[in-house]
Amino acid sequence: MYIKRYMTVNPCAAGPETTIARASELLTEHNCRHLPVVDEESRLLGMVTDRDLRSACPSVLAVSRLNPEQLKVAGMPLSRIMSRDIVSLTPLSTLDDALLLLDHKKVGALPVLSDSGRLEGIFSTRDLLQAYRQLFGLGERGSALISVHEDGRPRPLSRLVRALEEHDIHFSRISRRSNAVGSSADDSRAGAVIYVRVNTFNLHAVHQALAEAGFTMENQGA
Amino acid sequence: MAPEFQDIVIIDSPAYDNHDTGGGEHPETPERVRAIRERLNSGPLAACLKWVAARPAAREWLIAIHDESYLFRFEEAVLAGQTWLGHRDNQICCDSFDCAVMAAGAGLAGVDLLEDGKEKLVFCPVRPPGHHAERAMALGFCFLNNIAIAADYWRQVYGRKRIFILDFDAHHGNGIQAAFETSSAIFYASIHEHPTYSFPGSGYAEEQGLNGGKGANLNIPLPPGAGDDMVLEAMQGKIGPALEKFRPEALIIAAGFDAHGQDDMSGLDYSTILYSRLGGWIRKWAGQFCGGRVLSILEGGYNPQALALSVESYLAGLAYNNVQQDN
Repeated sequence: MYIKRYMTVNPCAAGPETTIARASELLTEHNCRHLPVVDEESRLLGMVTDRDLRSACPSVLAVSRLNPEQLKVAGMPLSRIMSRDIVSLTPLSTLDDALLLLDHKKVGALPVLSDSGRLEGIFSTRDLLQAYRQLFGLGERGSALISVHEDGRPRPLSRLVRALEEHDIHFSRISRRSNAVGSSADDSRAGAVIYVRVNTFNLHAVHQALAEAGFTMENQGA
Repeated sequence: MAPEFQDIVIIDSPAYDNHDTGGGEHPETPERVRAIRERLNSGPLAACLKWVAARPAAREWLIAIHDESYLFRFEEAVLAGQTWLGHRDNQICCDSFDCAVMAAGAGLAGVDLLEDGKEKLVFCPVRPPGHHAERAMALGFCFLNNIAIAADYWRQVYGRKRIFILDFDAHHGNGIQAAFETSSAIFYASIHEHPTYSFPGSGYAEEQGLNGGKGANLNIPLPPGAGDDMVLEAMQGKIGPALEKFRPEALIIAAGFDAHGQDDMSGLDYSTILYSRLGGWIRKWAGQFCGGRVLSILEGGYNPQALALSVESYLAGLAYNNVQQDN
């Protein structure tokens, strides 16, 4: 769950004297929207987004390409527009840290800094999506996510895992969703759903194994 | 007065009974094709069926779709007495390679008959099924991609430039999609249970073909529990317009019946009669675009009784003469 496994290492970065015009080119060339601004020793000074760059430029509708004001803005350094109040992650931050920060701060990417403040990577909302896609096994060839209703009896996860293992049914992920948010485990047991990613086509066998253990699968046949 | 049903050629082989998947809880059993034979021979379609023997597919057509090293691996696994290939789902026995080659060959024999001009409707009740098999990987009980092999043969031998494959099996035919996803000449359309909940985990609506094949791939995932209404809506609202636009010269149906409500291999809930209506649509489109020619090849369907009735229902819809389509 550590960010260092999921971040983009050696991200595209610029110096504080880089011009706004050059920064726009860099974002286009690297197909990204966030540009860390660093000093000569890779210490983070600020961040610039494509939105910052667009906001800094006069509207294309209001000016012509040769307008002197526009040329002047294009030649300004990033130090004039970069955000300096930056929230960041470390390589040992977790995906949860990133999710909470991206959500609370309403930003699209977070720089990942070493203890000495040097830029080691960048972690974007897109990286977060990719990370959770991998964790959930979305698109994993040869698998299916099944939904199993809890039967209200104790130790449902243990019983379910045992049933699958006894029938040699391979599975790679398991998670549980309680229907009653905020209630105790006992209160929420009835009606809860367990999601299991099984790595088999033989859903007939899965169905049989779970039925023997007293579970029912959601939407599986009549 | 025209006969009630048009003739249907059934391409079959005793070899299909020989692929032993080890018994136990494995659902891909010889009982599937036996139940189909028994039902077709004793039901109302019996008089209009012409049973033709399948032939093994020549190696050149197999290696157009599969890596030769994979074919060797499959053959060696069988000869060495292994009981599965790649994953325990893919059970094999000493006859499995020959059975799979005979399953792939049925489609080729079907294409020849359709191109000969005398026959219009061909159904191949083969096993093992094929649509999950990829270039170098057995998956989901499938070893050789029977549909992809037939489509490629049709294109190469008879020069058909636009081939439309419609897959109504409950599961996405990842192998067919992978074989042709960069091709604009072969359109793959599939109606299946949503990949979030269903094997093999592919077939999202956003998968629409790659590079030159962009736009020649249509995936219509249905939520678990979906029944006849949603399928007919997809046929009318999405498959029909795709056919109109593509205007195929040949039509191949990946005919899987595991979306039936009594089949526990999917969460879909199709009725037996739905397959008759699917047959009716397909017959109409085949007449409109392909001179009435349709090649249908069996994929899934694991409750033998529901499978046999569904196959009969499908073929009845496909072959019924002078029917006024109400859909």
